[in-house]
Amino acid sequence: MKLRPTAPFSHPAWRLLPGLGIASALLLLATAGLGALLWEASLPDVSQLWGSRYLRTVITFTVWQAFLSVLLSLLVAVPVARMLARQPAFPGRGGLLRLMELSLVLPSIVAVSGLVSVYGRQGWFTGIASDWLNVSWNIYGINGIVLAHVFFNAPLAARILLQAIESAPASQRRAAAQLGLGRWWYWRAVEWPAVRPVLPGLAALVFTLCFTSFAIVMTLGGGPSATTIEVAIYQALRFEFDGSQAALLAVVQLLICGFLWWLAARYGLTASLLPDRRVASHSSRAGRSFWSRLTDGLALGVFALFLVMPLAAILLRGLPGMGSAFFPQGSFSVNPALLDATLRSLAIALPAGLMSVGAALLILASGTATSRSTIRRVTDVTAYLPLMIPPLVLGTGLFLLFRPSLGNSSEGLVLVTLINAMMALPFVLQMLRGPLGRLDSASRQQADQLGILGWYRWRWLHWPRMRRPLALSMAYGTGLSLGDFGVIALFGSPGQPTLPVLLYQQLGSYRVDAAAATGLWLVLLLLLLFSVFNLLGASRLSLRRTANSPRTVQEPEHA
Amino acid sequence: MLTRAFTLLFLTLIAVPAFAQSTPTLTIYTHPSFAADWGPGPAVKDAFEKTCDCQVRYVVLSSGGDILQRLRLEGKSTQADLVLGLDTGTMENSRQTGLLGHHETDLSALDLPINWQDPVFVPYDWGYFAFVYDTEQLPNPPESLDALIAAPDDLKIIIQDPRTSTPGLGLLLWMRHVYGDQASAMWQQLKDKILTTTKSWSDGYYSLFMSGEAPLILSYSTSPAYHMAVDNTDRYQAVAFEEGHYLQVEVAALVQSSDHKELARDFLEFMLTPDFQRHIPLKNVMYPATDLGDELPEVFSHLIQPSEARYFDPKTVTDNRRQWLNEWLDAMTR
Amino acid sequence: MLEVKNLVFAYSGQTDPWSFQFAAAPGQCIAIHGASGSGKSTLLNLLAGFLEPRSGDILWQQESLRNCPPWHRPMTSVFQEHNLFEHLNVETNIGLGIHPGLKLTPQDRQAIREALQSVGLEGFSKRLPGDLSGGQRQRVALLRAILRRQPILLLDEPLTGLDREARDTLRQLLLEQKAKGVLMVLASHDEDDRRILADSTYNL
Repeated sequence: MKLRPTAPFSHPAWRLLPGLGIASALLLLATAGLGALLWEASLPDVSQLWGSRYLRTVITFTVWQAFLSVLLSLLVAVPVARMLARQPAFPGRGGLLRLMELSLVLPSIVAVSGLVSVYGRQGWFTGIASDWLNVSWNIYGINGIVLAHVFFNAPLAARILLQAIESAPASQRRAAAQLGLGRWWYWRAVEWPAVRPVLPGLAALVFTLCFTSFAIVMTLGGGPSATTIEVAIYQALRFEFDGSQAALLAVVQLLICGFLWWLAARYGLTASLLPDRRVASHSSRAGRSFWSRLTDGLALGVFALFLVMPLAAILLRGLPGMGSAFFPQGSFSVNPALLDATLRSLAIALPAGLMSVGAALLILASGTATSRSTIRRVTDVTAYLPLMIPPLVLGTGLFLLFRPSLGNSSEGLVLVTLINAMMALPFVLQMLRGPLGRLDSASRQQADQLGILGWYRWRWLHWPRMRRPLALSMAYGTGLSLGDFGVIALFGSPGQPTLPVLLYQQLGSYRVDAAAATGLWLVLLLLLLFSVFNLLGASRLSLRRTANSPRTVQEPEHA
Repeated sequence: MLTRAFTLLFLTLIAVPAFAQSTPTLTIYTHPSFAADWGPGPAVKDAFEKTCDCQVRYVVLSSGGDILQRLRLEGKSTQADLVLGLDTGTMENSRQTGLLGHHETDLSALDLPINWQDPVFVPYDWGYFAFVYDTEQLPNPPESLDALIAAPDDLKIIIQDPRTSTPGLGLLLWMRHVYGDQASAMWQQLKDKILTTTKSWSDGYYSLFMSGEAPLILSYSTSPAYHMAVDNTDRYQAVAFEEGHYLQVEVAALVQSSDHKELARDFLEFMLTPDFQRHIPLKNVMYPATDLGDELPEVFSHLIQPSEARYFDPKTVTDNRRQWLNEWLDAMTR
Repeated sequence: MLEVKNLVFAYSGQTDPWSFQFAAAPGQCIAIHGASGSGKSTLLNLLAGFLEPRSGDILWQQESLRNCPPWHRPMTSVFQEHNLFEHLNVETNIGLGIHPGLKLTPQDRQAIREALQSVGLEGFSKRLPGDLSGGQRQRVALLRAILRRQPILLLDEPLTGLDREARDTLRQLLLEQKAKGVLMVLASHDEDDRRILADSTYNL
């Protein structure tokens, strides 16, 4: 028997332990942060949860608005994803995808200003609607909150759903195309099975995001009756120094969101997959007729408009200040403040993105390495902890824990990078979970037999299929950190600001034009980032496609 | 470009401890608008460093509340020598931490609407909370709190939440000072005119007010100074209310556990000199704490002159804030 | 010598477990015969190590393979379909059989080229499996199994569903391997396959 070469890192422990380590670290961090807060304060009086009318309303309202937002976001996202999947040649499709990726990572103050310019009392759209259609609405209140949440989350959801539908096994799609399935049956046979495994996690993700929403809820909520738990936590910590109440509310938040994630991990993600044979993409019959192209086009146009209008408002508002932002006092030297802030932001965001992608891969790998579903589920849910624990609570707890050694500003930036990576982890995980888990059992068996293990398996089986999702998740990870204000504000920054800090500085001192310009610059930078990563993810594939034109030929029938 | 970014980051990381070796470093916790490039921070730093043979380092936290919070969390091990950016709302809580020391500064140069004799806190600027209106949308704004409350409900105003924002708390105290126990009833009447209650002043001012969402916003009486002096527009004006306006004083204090207390005291004294104060009016857009004479920019003479400075002593605020806040919540959510 | 001794297996919920027992020598082909659902594929998967038996043992040259992971067993499987990595081209698919990290010597690459040429697939090395016909794909799968040079080939309906010409080519390839001393375990419905390839039959 010939001695076969063994693959590097092929011992199962290499798959299991790093991810498990990261998950445990997150768990430890969360417990320690929360625990330190409880330790410092007295034990909370749990009875105030049902005793206080205020807390009761806060909790009910938080759940209610999050529920509505999830419902609407998914109601928008599912049809959009289906239409995008069945219209692969829709003009401007690529542009629309970039816009969809953008909305989530926009700093909320920039996005809200855009939304208000369109849908606010003096908004363009409100004007048109009341003049032409005689419809009037008030954005301030639950409408505005849900509208903003749909603006932020529906595109994210649609993007992830599209990725799921597009990766439906081609054999299924082909069969459906041959049978000439109509829309409903195509949905039943192809789209729903592809969407179903990601839907519970997606719903939990959007729910958690809306549940923990803060500034948007306050700005558009209309008054203190629109108060989320995060606001109450902020109030308890910042204004009343009531650590025990903050911890109590944080635990409530953790329990509600954690329970949902647990459900999602239990009921989602069990798709039986067939090997994905790559043949020419078959658009369904449902998408081909003139009529369906027209209606899909119109609906996607409306959706694009919904996303573009606020961005256009941001553009119009930012343009006047753009000149002086880059060339102060009309000089031709590039403004170092804006440029340095940009570079500083990138220096934090790129490593943070890289770290979150790396951590997500390791966590997912450890999920495939064990057959114990409990370990897998715990690892899974743990990775979403950063979304569920208010950063303020975590930060405060960590300060208590690590003082006096924390807060040195030199450690600060490293810490900011780490925490940004941690905050991006849930999103990145959501994007990578499907593609990484998509190794069918036939391929797995072959790989086992051929000894394609460890590094080799990653290199030859995962990496070639994951370029695109990796690029997208890298873009999200980096983009989220680039637009981050919360984390850096929490730990304090040295005098030199990052872009969002610069934006808030300008806002805080009446420099409205400059702030609008910085906001626009941030949006453009994010757009650029997503485009670059999209190109990086696609380049190899498109090269191969042109070098390999027979791929577009129909597969021989006698297969 | 990436290399440059990393070099920059690296330098940021390395630079700070390196300085600490040679000359003493005065670490000041402050908020973003003070430390911004165009704020008073950099100019003040340069001016002070010329006199002291030291380095001034700012640690920027997002608000006065955050400065206090950080101080509480770090306790005696804090690296701050001085905190700058607390105000009359957060003062008393800061004092109660026991972490701040006496300033021993001569306060006779102060020029505030009230008499200031505090042993711990040195004011560096002040201003009034006021409603700023858009003259193009609202040529005739209400001229008193009474008139505002009695105005028809289609007049919309933007305020900030007292739970999360300094001016928001200011309005709460203002109403309380004017109406006493009737404040809750007044809030209920005002409620339907409130378009929304934003988290911070910036959210309301930038996202809503400047987009024309409402013609009236809770802000500072000095806000128009910036628009007049820098934006060259007198479109946005504050309206003087007959009942008088609530006063905000911004203060600094030295940290008891600091190794550089003398330096910190020097800074507090320097704070009341023209070299510091001249940067306040246009860079911080507040009134200077001392009389600048001719140096006070001309636009400041166009600002409203409140008939009365409304002011609770900080201890009263601390003792009652929670109660008042709960009454406000109750009135607003009923 | 490959010896399967009292190998017992049942899927969960299966009341009546299967029990397998047979032996075969190098250079021989043993055909597994039985109706569908009688456990042919299960047996091949047990041999390959994809399934875990309840009891019994598999011996190769007197050594137990029972605790050997699939990648250490001296065998290669070829199924009716799904034998190839669909995202990798023909050459890479074959190459991964020679070295699991595709660290190929020039001689290896030469061998792949010649092998492709010998089965009429010259010039297909950069194609993806999806662009090939079923017969072409099976030829590639078999080439990979052969170039891997393992003493045992596990064949699970490898020729089912192919046209006459493809079958003939593949049978020829398999006969060559047998002549070289490779032991083959063949599960096939096809009377001709068994008649042409097998030396003995094991009835389930």
